[in-house]
Amino acid sequence: MANQKSSVGIRGMEIKTLPKHDQSHISYREINEDILRFMTQTGPGYYIVLGALFLLTILLYALPWAYQIYTGQGVTGLNVPVFWGVYLVNFVFWVGVAHAGTLISAMLYITETPWRRAIARGAETMTLFALVIVTFFVFIHMGRPWNFYWSFPYPNTRQLWTSFQSPLMFDVFAIGTYFTSSVIFLYFGMIPDLASLRQSSTGWRKSLYRVMSLGWRGTDRQWHMHGKACMFFSSFIMPLVVSVHSIVSWDFALSVVPGYSKTVFAPYFVTGALLSGFAGVLLMLTVIRWFFPIMKKYVTAYHFDRIGIIILVLSLTWSYCTLMEVVTGLYANTSQELEHLKFKLLTPPYSYLFVLMIFSNTLVPLSLMIRKIRSCEIGMFFICIFVLIGMWLERYLIVPNSLSRKFLPWMWHDYFPSWVEVSITVGAVCFFIFMFMAFIKIFPVVSLFEVKEDAGIPMKKGH
Amino acid sequence: MDILGLFKHADTMLDAAKRLESAGYAFTVFSPVPLVHEIDHAFGERKSYIKYFTFFGGLSGFFTGTLLALGTAALYVLPRGGRPIFFITPTLIISYETTILFGVGITLLSFFLFAGLPSFKKDVPSPEAAIDSFGLLVDDIREDEFVKLEKILKESGADEVKRVEEE
Repeated sequence: MANQKSSVGIRGMEIKTLPKHDQSHISYREINEDILRFMTQTGPGYYIVLGALFLLTILLYALPWAYQIYTGQGVTGLNVPVFWGVYLVNFVFWVGVAHAGTLISAMLYITETPWRRAIARGAETMTLFALVIVTFFVFIHMGRPWNFYWSFPYPNTRQLWTSFQSPLMFDVFAIGTYFTSSVIFLYFGMIPDLASLRQSSTGWRKSLYRVMSLGWRGTDRQWHMHGKACMFFSSFIMPLVVSVHSIVSWDFALSVVPGYSKTVFAPYFVTGALLSGFAGVLLMLTVIRWFFPIMKKYVTAYHFDRIGIIILVLSLTWSYCTLMEVVTGLYANTSQELEHLKFKLLTPPYSYLFVLMIFSNTLVPLSLMIRKIRSCEIGMFFICIFVLIGMWLERYLIVPNSLSRKFLPWMWHDYFPSWVEVSITVGAVCFFIFMFMAFIKIFPVVSLFEVKEDAGIPMKKGH
Repeated sequence: MDILGLFKHADTMLDAAKRLESAGYAFTVFSPVPLVHEIDHAFGERKSYIKYFTFFGGLSGFFTGTLLALGTAALYVLPRGGRPIFFITPTLIISYETTILFGVGITLLSFFLFAGLPSFKKDVPSPEAAIDSFGLLVDDIREDEFVKLEKILKESGADEVKRVEEE
C-alpha cells in the first residue's frame, strides 16, 4: 500500500520513509467529481447491507428496548448492589469513541496539521453518531425514559430538585454541550462544501444542498469569517473534549466505592477515550478504503502511519495509567480496595478479561513500532479491533465489577448481563453503522474545500 | 449590470484585483478555497468582530451557569452531608460547560451575521467559482464601463469574462 522512498540517516544507514502527504496531483474539479460520485453511485450491495443493518437495529436494539420498557428493568442483570451495568459501560465506551473525531478536527486545525483535512469530516461524523448512541444509552439505562425532563431544573410539585453538586448533573451539561458543539462544528464545516456540491448535483440533492448551504457564495468576506469562527470553535472544543471525559470519570471517581474512588481516573479516562476514538477513526477509514477504492486517493498510507503513531503513544500512556490504577489501590492497602483488586485481577472470569484487556491495549499496539505494520491495512484493521475490545473491557472491569465487591461481604453480588443487555449492546453497533452509512451517502464524508487546500492553491508564478 | 472575471490561478486574480483597486473599483472575490492569507497579504489585514461576540458569549455562558447552579441551590435548599449549600467547585464545572456552550452558539450566530447568512437572494455568479475557478466581480457598473473593465481583467490574465445580469 505504501510507496516508500529512501533517505540516508545517521551513521549512513538507509532509512525508508513514507512520502509526505501530497495531494497536489489532484485537480479541484476532480475532487468535486470524486466525492459526488462516491455519494451518488451506490450499488445494490450497499442498499442490501443498509437494509440488513436497519433490520438488525429493529430486532436487536429497538424491540429488546421496547420489551424492557414494557416489562421493567427486571429483565436486565442489574440487582443490588450492581445498578450500573452494561448500559453504562456502553455509555462510557461510546463517549470515548466520540472523542477522537472532534479532537482530530480541532487540535489538528489549530496546529495546522495538513493531513487532518482528508479525514476530519469522517471523524466528526463518527463523533456525531457515537454521541447519538451515547444519548440513547442514557435513556435505556433510565428505565423510564419519558421522565427525562426530571433532570431539568424547574419548579415542580414533586419536591425533587436538580442537584448541581452531583457529577451526574455535570454529565448532562458536559454531554449536552459536546453534542451541540459537535453538531455545530460538523455542520459549520460542511456549509462551503454543500454550496460547491449544489453546483454539480441535480434533483433532491440540489434542493437539499441549496437550503443547507444557506446561500453561501464563497466570497472573501465569508471565507474570512469562516476561518475566524473555525479557530474559535476549535479553541473551545479542545478543552471541551478533555472536560467531557474527565466529567464522565467523575461519575465514578467522586464516589467512595472501592475501585471507583481513584484520583487517576480523569487522565485515565481521557487517555482511554482518545485511544478508542483514534482506533475507531482508523477502523472507519480502513473499511471505507476497502469498499470505496476511490477514497484511497484522499486517505493515504501517510494517514495510517500518523494515526498509528498516535495510537502507540496513547496506548503507552493508557498502560501507565492502568498500572497506576492498580498500584495506588495496592498502596491504599484497605481491605475493601484489596478485595476489589483480588476480584478484578485474580478471580476468573474477570482475571481472563483483565489479561485480554492488557493484551489488546498494551501488547498488540506495541507492534505499531514497526513501520510496515503501520502501513498495512489489514494489520491496522485488527489492531483497531483489539483496541476497541480492550477499551470496552476496561470499562466493564471498572463499572459493574467494582460494584460487585462493594464494602461488606453480605453486599457482594456478581453481575452478568442478561440477553436483553447483550442484544441492545450489539444492536447499538448496528444502529451506529446504519446511521453512518446513510449519512455518508447524503453528505460529503471528505471536506472538499480542505482537500482542495491540500492540493494547493493554483498559482501561475508558483508559490 | 455586473462583470465577472474568472481565473484559473489565484495570483493572477489577485493582480487583477489590485489593478481594479487602483482604478477605483470595488470588487468581490469568489473562490472555492479560503484565500484569507493571500488576500490579507495583498490588501492588508481585515478586521473581524467575531472575537468580541465569542468573548461575550463565553462570559454570558459563565454567568448563566453560575446563576443556574447557585440560584437553584438558593431557591430549593438541599442540605447534603454537611456540605455547603453554595459550593464553588461543582458550580465552576457547570459554568465551564455553559461558557463553552454559549461561546460556541454565539460564535455561530455572529458568523451568520457577518457572513450574511442565510441569504438566498443571490447565487454564486458562476458555478465554476464554487468548484475550480477564482472569480472577481464588480457590480453595478454602467454599460460604458464594461469594455474598460473587460480590458483590465483580460490583460491581468482572466480566462473568461462574463456579463452578469442582476436577478
